[in-house]
Amino acid sequence: MNALTFSTAISTGRVELVNVRQRSLFTARFRVLWVVLAFAAVALLALLRICWLGLVQSAPQQATMAEALLPPRGEIVDRNGVPLARAFPAYALWYDPKALGDGGAPLVKPPAEVARELVAIFPDMDVKWLTARLASGKAGYLRRRVLPEEANRVHAIGELALEMPQETDRQYPQGSMAAHVLGFIGSDGHGRVGMEAALDKQLLDPARRGQPSVLSIDSRVQGALEDELRRGMLLVDAKGAAGIVLDVDTGEVMALASLPEFDPNQIDAQGQKDMFNRVTNQVYELGSTFKPLTVAAAIDNGTVTDLSRRYPAANLHIDGFTIHDDENLGPSLNVPEMLIHSSNIVAAQVADELGGKAFQRTLIALGMNQRPPIELPARGFPIWHNGDWPRLRTMTIGFGHGIAVTPLHLANAYAALVNGGIWRPATLLKLGPNQVPAGHRVFKASTSARMNQLLRMIALYGTGRKADAPGFRVGGKTGSAEKACDGGYCRHQVISTFAAAFPMDHPRYVVVAMLDQPQATAASSFQRTAAWNAVPIVGRLIPRIGPMLGVMPDASRDIDISELRPLVEKDAEAAEKTPGGAR
Amino acid sequence: MHASRMRKIGWAMVLIACTALYLALHLRVNAVKSEVRLAERKIVALQEQKMLLETEFETRSNQQQLAAWNDVEFGYKAPGADQFLEGERQLAQFGAPPQKGAPAPITVASAPAPERQQGSFAALVATRAVAAEIPKGEAPRLRSGDFLSARLARRTEKVAIETLPERGE
Repeated sequence: MNALTFSTAISTGRVELVNVRQRSLFTARFRVLWVVLAFAAVALLALLRICWLGLVQSAPQQATMAEALLPPRGEIVDRNGVPLARAFPAYALWYDPKALGDGGAPLVKPPAEVARELVAIFPDMDVKWLTARLASGKAGYLRRRVLPEEANRVHAIGELALEMPQETDRQYPQGSMAAHVLGFIGSDGHGRVGMEAALDKQLLDPARRGQPSVLSIDSRVQGALEDELRRGMLLVDAKGAAGIVLDVDTGEVMALASLPEFDPNQIDAQGQKDMFNRVTNQVYELGSTFKPLTVAAAIDNGTVTDLSRRYPAANLHIDGFTIHDDENLGPSLNVPEMLIHSSNIVAAQVADELGGKAFQRTLIALGMNQRPPIELPARGFPIWHNGDWPRLRTMTIGFGHGIAVTPLHLANAYAALVNGGIWRPATLLKLGPNQVPAGHRVFKASTSARMNQLLRMIALYGTGRKADAPGFRVGGKTGSAEKACDGGYCRHQVISTFAAAFPMDHPRYVVVAMLDQPQATAASSFQRTAAWNAVPIVGRLIPRIGPMLGVMPDASRDIDISELRPLVEKDAEAAEKTPGGAR
Repeated sequence: MHASRMRKIGWAMVLIACTALYLALHLRVNAVKSEVRLAERKIVALQEQKMLLETEFETRSNQQQLAAWNDVEFGYKAPGADQFLEGERQLAQFGAPPQKGAPAPITVASAPAPERQQGSFAALVATRAVAAEIPKGEAPRLRSGDFLSARLARRTEKVAIETLPERGE
């Protein structure tokens, strides 16, 4: 108060000066305070942030380990756990011309040089095409399925426009093996053709895709089947081939092959053409392989009771149609001889006596009037006639003509024929001991036992002799059916089939091998019939797959056919003189 | 008055100490957690790498490749019936000479037994087996392809096996 009075007394100018000084001092202090407060606030914020990170730590959104390890699409493995299809982390090579972002040239180096460097990494790429592709300035894939090692080398080129996005890819380690069973993945990420399509939901389901899907296929057997089929197909210059190995007691498919095959790793135009599955999708008139079914139906229905009864073997004229055999088989034949020599005439008579109704019933029980029972999406519908069969149709179906089914139908029917008479649907999924379907009875057990003897006799004395692998007790029936063309049959286009089972003293597996249009070549002694092309395939296959499937060869065992042998004495003696031959 | 104040300070100290300990523990837990996360990330990366290598291995050793190599290089074939044994009984059969007047081994259907049917297996167990029979007058030398079963089939006299290797090799 005194100072104020004093200063007023001195001069107003000085007072003003003091006021200004005080005010600016105040402002300065005020500003300092603000700066300090600001610093403090920042420090506090930082501290809070540290505390937040330390105490709460809202972790960045990331997958748990279980999620990261879950494949984007489930693995498919064979019955022994060998991976057949798996999700595979790979890179792609993507060209992004705008990556540099300056509107200038997309590449730092000239396109030709970059193309050369890329070809040094991927020798199968074409320099010219690549140069043109890089110069065009269009974004897009240059290549899919690049390995990490290659990706590193591409990064080392130092071009930003070459991007390496990580993609999950489907890899089939076995290449084209079992391609028709597996199928492939379309660009939409869904399965096509094979089990990839059939199991699509399961393979994509997060709850289930962690566990691999187990197929009934045994990859070793599958490989052997494809090897032998391919070899046999090339030897006789056939258009295609099909093969199946089926467990007779469970209906599990051990191997299923259709040739020519495709490579699911790389689908191209040719692959698209070869996707057709001859085992499950194409129906064929399978010819004489039906004769055992006819005989079994006849024995089962009591129309064949005496196997020594002889039927006349002269050409049959029915409704203006002549049923004949390829060669003259003598004046008369009994049923075992009919099977050994594959006589159409006698088979037709057996079917005729059996009657259309009963035969139809048996074939329906064997599932011949519907698509084959299997998981694959592509299944062929048989050429099947409903209603009453005229006499001629019954007779032609008796030797496998006038009905067209898939090789899978045949394998299923043979399984029922040899396993004691129970028909079970075929499956491509591995079955546990308690999952085996009960099936339904088609033949009596006694009929099945009799058929086992007869099938064994065909392989010992008849057309199946080239399949009689020592110690494996093979039995089976050949069939060589002319293909239908232009309203009739073509003499030189045949479907040759061999349907076999082994070991006949306790049948475990059915093997069907089929060749589409085999040619008469030196390898088949200039013959087109199954005995010379399809039978040797099975003869080479069974010793390879038998031990893998738990069937040990044993030359000191066999099915007892001693009571039937006298019925075919002449053939037996002839066969024993020339072991390993074929007729 | 003084005591209650001391108690208050004491409680505060305890509270502060507990909070500090809790904080330290919490930070430690989080540190371990992030270590686990890092380890998990590493596991995933390793798994991926493993799958990559496994797939590469599977691809390089696929069945077709192996079959092609076998055709060109090795020529292995499926073992034949004479390379399998059912059990001890069948094994014992190799050692027993056929009795006088005994029928030929019984097979239900005709399967002509070739000369050296049990050859390869017998060769495996041959030379150092318990005893062997060799023909009486013949020079005691092992020829190549002269398997136990073939020797057994001849008319025989018992000799000790100990002398065999010396003579044969």
